[in-house]
Amino acid sequence: MTMSNPGRGRILGIETSCDETAAAVVQRGTSVLSSVVSSQVDLHARYGGVVPEIASRAHVDVLVPVVAQAFVEAGLSEVSAGGESAIDAVAATYGPGLVGALLVGVSAAKTLALAWDVPFIAVNHLEAHLYAALLEDPDLEFPLVVLLVSGGHTMIVLMEGHGQYQVLGSTIDDAAGEAFDKVARYLGLGYPGGPAIDALSVHGDLEAIRFPRPMAGDGTYDFSFSGLKTAVVNHVRKHPEVTAADVAAGFQEAVVDVLVTKTQAAARSVGARGLCLGGGVAANSRLRERFLDVCLADGIRGFLPSRAMCTDNAAMVASTAWYRWQSDGPSPLDTGAHPNLGLS
Amino acid sequence: MMLILGITTSTSQVGCAIGGHEGVLGSVNSARGRRHAETLTPAIEFLCRQTRVELSEISAIAVDLGPGMFTGLRVGVAAGKALAYARRLPMIGVTSLDLVAFPLRHSPRRIVCALDAGRGELYHAAYRRSPGGVERLTEPVVASPEELAADLSARADEMLLVGDGALRYQSLFDSLRRVEMADVGEAYPLAGSLVQLAHARALREDWINPAELTPLYLRKPDAEINWTTRDGVSS
Repeated sequence: MTMSNPGRGRILGIETSCDETAAAVVQRGTSVLSSVVSSQVDLHARYGGVVPEIASRAHVDVLVPVVAQAFVEAGLSEVSAGGESAIDAVAATYGPGLVGALLVGVSAAKTLALAWDVPFIAVNHLEAHLYAALLEDPDLEFPLVVLLVSGGHTMIVLMEGHGQYQVLGSTIDDAAGEAFDKVARYLGLGYPGGPAIDALSVHGDLEAIRFPRPMAGDGTYDFSFSGLKTAVVNHVRKHPEVTAADVAAGFQEAVVDVLVTKTQAAARSVGARGLCLGGGVAANSRLRERFLDVCLADGIRGFLPSRAMCTDNAAMVASTAWYRWQSDGPSPLDTGAHPNLGLS
Repeated sequence: MMLILGITTSTSQVGCAIGGHEGVLGSVNSARGRRHAETLTPAIEFLCRQTRVELSEISAIAVDLGPGMFTGLRVGVAAGKALAYARRLPMIGVTSLDLVAFPLRHSPRRIVCALDAGRGELYHAAYRRSPGGVERLTEPVVASPEELAADLSARADEMLLVGDGALRYQSLFDSLRRVEMADVGEAYPLAGSLVQLAHARALREDWINPAELTPLYLRKPDAEINWTTRDGVSS
């Protein structure tokens, strides 16, 4: 065991990889004492996407208040009267993500660790998304197949044990969440596009327009979503009479269909015992519905994290840090940000 | 005894220092490129060990507020805010240009500080010596080197031009008759200057609420600039 004195195993997690400033206190990887998320969605909405410089500025301004709130909600005071720190380690996401945004969290977390004389643990954001499901359902058994879908990532990951991953497939161009944002912008639905399309689709007929299923049935677990937006634009040009609700429903069905079909095939091929969703797009109601259908049909235990745990949060960071601390020990204080960090 | 920890990361250099009424007890400075986050935390740890000062003995945190390189600047401000929060300490913020002017406080000339703002621009402000330090005469602004050169050429007083921005565009200023260039050793804000300036303010209890401390950017984010242009609104 490389772990330095784990104490109560109480970890403060910090997440600033994109446009959410988040802090959480999690005990021994599974017991969430608090999880605070300050979303910047209103700051970015008028630009139709996350503006890195605006995100970084907001992180600097709100990070400390968010951390302080995480202590309040956990019912802890940072340092006891005797000078003892209430937490046993500080963790932060160090990649992948926006470099300027990541640096704010990494710099603050390392400094907090130094000031409280506790270890610092650097956490991979993708790994944290994988752990979001385990955090809420610790009884999930390996091997586990996770479909990770967000504005920045789309991948199918095989998790054979703690810290053991194999990326079975990923997007070759746009992430699924990006496709939602682009189509929503085209339809004039605003930002973020995922929830807008999800809400509008309820009023549409998902079979009215059949958009292409890119790369479906090609035998790989890879995705491509950049062509779908073009297909939507071309269809609306040819059929100006279509309703936005039918377009949204048809588009969403095409994305969900490819995601679910490929995840099902991957789970079958590796003999997965569990199937999980992760990432912001995992909050999509149609995806959740279809995903559960697959689990039921194949007799695989499925787990859908709560919507709060799908989107970026720091509880999943603090939870991941607990397992990383046990396997790898603390991270050095000269850790920087790794914007293109992958899963390995 | 009042001990202050100062952090400066607004330029390509990274620095931290501890000082108090005895002056600067120790400082660490690195000029090895843009590795602010990698360098700063170990530098603070090293500084504390070498000066034999525990973080628990520090009574205030001073940070360089910029203007400067946004990403580097935020590394230091985020670290400073985190330290102040963790140890419940008051903060002091000092402008990067003030830090560059301070070591030249014995010069009788008008001191013009110009730091590299990237994109072919400079951040600059002018100073004159005053008892115990320098007095800022103009508000920090962002401008082109050509504009600054034109400003300086119109002045009748003797000037000392300093800063990494001044050095970068030195050819524009060399021909100006009343302008002398300071050298590269004086071109960057130093953490030692920061703790000295901050100590004077700390004695006056001139604190800034950590929640209100925010970097001095002087420039809007790119997207906001584009947005205002698109709307036909000037800022």
